[in-house]
Amino acid sequence: MNFFFMGTLLFSIGGFASIFLKEKYKALVFFFFAAAAQYFLLPGVFNVLLSGIRLEARLQFTGPIGISYIRIDPLAAIFILIISIGALLAAVYSISYMKMYSGKRANLSSYYFFLGLMISSMLLVVTAQNAILFLIVWELMSISSFFLVSFENNKEDVRKAGIYYLIAMQIGAAFLITAFSWITALSGSLDFSSFKHVLSSSNTISIILILLFFIGFGTKAGFIPMHTWLPKAHPAAPTGVSALMSGVMIKTGIYGILRILLLSDTPDLKLSYFVFIISLVTGVYGVSNAIAQHDLKKLLAYHSIENIGIIGMGIGTGMIGLAYNQPLIALFGFIGAILHVFNHFLFKTLLFFGAGIVYQKTGTRNIERLGGLIKTLPITSSLFLLGSIAICGLPLFNGFISEFAIYIGIAKCFVIDNLAINIAAVTGISGIALIGIMAVLCFTKVFGICFLGSPRTEYKEKFSEKSFSFVFPMILLSVLIIVIGLLPGLVLPLLSSVMKQFIKVDFTNELKSILYLYRSISLSLLLFVCIVLLFLLLKYILLKNKSIVKFKTWDCGYQAESSRIQYTGSSFAQPFLLLIAELVHQKINVVKDPVLFPKEASLESHSQDFSERYLIQPSIKVLDKFLNYFSWIQSGQMQQYIIYGLLFLFFLLIWIWGTR
Amino acid sequence: MLIKIILYGVLALSPLLFTGIINKVKAIWAGRRGAPVLQPYFDFFKLLRKGEVISKTTSFVFQITPSINISAVLFAFLIVPIPCIGSLINFNGDFVLFAYILGLSRFMTVIAALDTGSSFEGMGASREVTFASIVEPSFFIIIGTLSLLTNQLSFNAIFTMLNTSVGYTMLVKLLLLTSLFIMLLTEGSRVPVDDPNTHLELTMIHEVMILDYSGPDLAFILYSSALKMLLISLIIGNLFVPVYLSLLLGLLYLSLILFIVFYAVGIVESIIARSRISHIPQFIFLITALSIIAFAVVAFFLRGGI
Repeated sequence: MNFFFMGTLLFSIGGFASIFLKEKYKALVFFFFAAAAQYFLLPGVFNVLLSGIRLEARLQFTGPIGISYIRIDPLAAIFILIISIGALLAAVYSISYMKMYSGKRANLSSYYFFLGLMISSMLLVVTAQNAILFLIVWELMSISSFFLVSFENNKEDVRKAGIYYLIAMQIGAAFLITAFSWITALSGSLDFSSFKHVLSSSNTISIILILLFFIGFGTKAGFIPMHTWLPKAHPAAPTGVSALMSGVMIKTGIYGILRILLLSDTPDLKLSYFVFIISLVTGVYGVSNAIAQHDLKKLLAYHSIENIGIIGMGIGTGMIGLAYNQPLIALFGFIGAILHVFNHFLFKTLLFFGAGIVYQKTGTRNIERLGGLIKTLPITSSLFLLGSIAICGLPLFNGFISEFAIYIGIAKCFVIDNLAINIAAVTGISGIALIGIMAVLCFTKVFGICFLGSPRTEYKEKFSEKSFSFVFPMILLSVLIIVIGLLPGLVLPLLSSVMKQFIKVDFTNELKSILYLYRSISLSLLLFVCIVLLFLLLKYILLKNKSIVKFKTWDCGYQAESSRIQYTGSSFAQPFLLLIAELVHQKINVVKDPVLFPKEASLESHSQDFSERYLIQPSIKVLDKFLNYFSWIQSGQMQQYIIYGLLFLFFLLIWIWGTR
Repeated sequence: MLIKIILYGVLALSPLLFTGIINKVKAIWAGRRGAPVLQPYFDFFKLLRKGEVISKTTSFVFQITPSINISAVLFAFLIVPIPCIGSLINFNGDFVLFAYILGLSRFMTVIAALDTGSSFEGMGASREVTFASIVEPSFFIIIGTLSLLTNQLSFNAIFTMLNTSVGYTMLVKLLLLTSLFIMLLTEGSRVPVDDPNTHLELTMIHEVMILDYSGPDLAFILYSSALKMLLISLIIGNLFVPVYLSLLLGLLYLSLILFIVFYAVGIVESIIARSRISHIPQFIFLITALSIIAFAVVAFFLRGGI
């Protein structure tokens, strides 16, 4: 276990140490500590995953925490792996990325300090086995990430986003605190393992408890309708942090849900359907809102919501499989979910890194103002394309592998002789297909409009993408994406010990059949690659010695070349947004002169989040009105505060007198 | 195995023949004599011999897309079984790979269209993905219906079991036939969804996305869209050809069905006008509606209630 504490500490120490250094060394030192932490964490983690053993350490605290266990089981190990690699990549990326803030008002010391703190607390979140310790590190994670989100706090929208994020996290934490205090009252102990008998007795209380946990953890993960902080916080944070938050931190919510699932016995059937359906809705909702976005990072944030939905569908499928005692379905569901957690980390981090480079190059995140970047940023563009294809779940890359498992898990439900599950299956399978094709729509828009075509504005900045700290993380992520995509058989054995935690019956044969299935997929995909290469070769041979003329794009005889007449992202998405107008509300402002020869006209469109509009804003209004009744407490008058002080002292005296 | 490979080879070489049949049918219905049935092949080989004109705006995406397209469709083709002999690639859930590999080709086609920076091609690309967003989920409802009916999870097994099933299957098959036929018209970009012969870029979908292609690339694209139509009609063929027939008889049966399907496409194209773009989603939603009805029918008879 020492390796774990060592690794966890190193991140914090790195962050702390960088406070005292000169600006240009901060990044390097933090990177050095992050790299050293890998040396401690990774071997231990792989050891746990491969052998399935549990490592634990007993900590004795004074005060309310008492005895606490820090335990690394295979489930925790998977998340430690993601956090650790994600942290390293964010550290590498920050070396170049944070240069743009050096010498400015922003404080790089706070950046590295809170980054280290956030990473360490995330590592503890996935290992802590004591309710109070868990809540402490959970809050530490939220608060340190709050400081990272509001890093550029001289901008008003960043400040607003930061506060919004903090409040959302506290609301989520409120549910968790309620759930944890209730469950400890019932079980009589703070230790997670003692929760087992409370949660496994299938009565109403345990279901309510699980729901409370689901809401609390779901807020972090971004399930609707608690997702509204994601599209605000992710764009506000510096890109390294956005990547870490979207790729890694929101997964701690998923971790929490899985941990609670492990502590409860066979899941309740209604609960399983609930998780399945809410995830499906989350997925569809996330991607359909993503389509309407103009801000590159906001769009990626909505895609995180979509992917959390897909992961949730995997979990739901797994739960349904467990509830119906179908190990194969459960296996497919959980493998899909956990693999997708990892996969989403890979491609989302890659995409955020790409978006950050685009932002540095162009100074804007507005999709409508970009274009033609593939000529000026060839490496970033190609890797962004790879990430885009992966996030759509299309084959050759890792997204397909995990989505395939979820697909099959759902499709296996057709075979069960039960109408309810059949209907759930057909809804689920067409729903996940809908999510997939909508993601295709969204990422063809992003890639096509931002990176292809010709530039819509002039990019002034002299900026090179070819620095080690930009290219290395993206290349590493791409390699992992391709390896998992083509050779899934290499990673699946790592998951078998995690699966043993979820599925109590013996599933060796089922696992074998899954491995066999993935081998046929690998072989087919390799065949596909061969066919593609063959046709590229054929084309090359056919075009040898032929004339290849470079000419301008066919413009149907219309002779006015201007990059502004290109199709825009909004017009690309418009036909689809018309179809789902009820779901994604768009505010469109048209300014035009109603005269015979109009001069200037403009059109603006903004999408509004459904849940923001119909749930969050109205409840804020109600709360505002209600809390206004107490506004007299904070009058701003000095006399009143002095009275408060005197009253406090007075009651203190009474209290002391009473206790004596 | 060898026979299977040869059969796949022959079928893979035949798609342009069916394009020829459609054109011939249209010509006859219009009272013309029409081009020879093999004309698409002549065009194909002519294109292969030509050089290319490439837009200056484009990148490598534009250049690799046609090759990826044709490979994707060809690969998807290997997953769909030939009646009475089965498919070359099959495993549980092969239909997901089938749909997703075609999805990859769609992704590439769309971004290749945006690569040219032409607003016409942007329009086509936008429409393509919009309509696909209706088609793709419906395809999985169709598959769901079939696997509910047969308890199987691969194309091969589904179609083997399908023919031995009970009475109400005919109703299901007819519903699925209709929705697959609409899907064929949509994916093959035929009337009333799209018109391959139109000359107005503003109204086109698939054809407008490939405006900038020429030479071998264009040949690849034309071939793959013809093959894609054959693919869907092959699924229709699988629905109806009984598996217990001998190979020769089965193939004859299949050819007859393919001929009827493409004849029908020709007739539809001759007697129906192209829809307005804004009305197309309603037409495509028919696929969803019909496949949901088919699912409900199976659920009703198999599980005893909806």
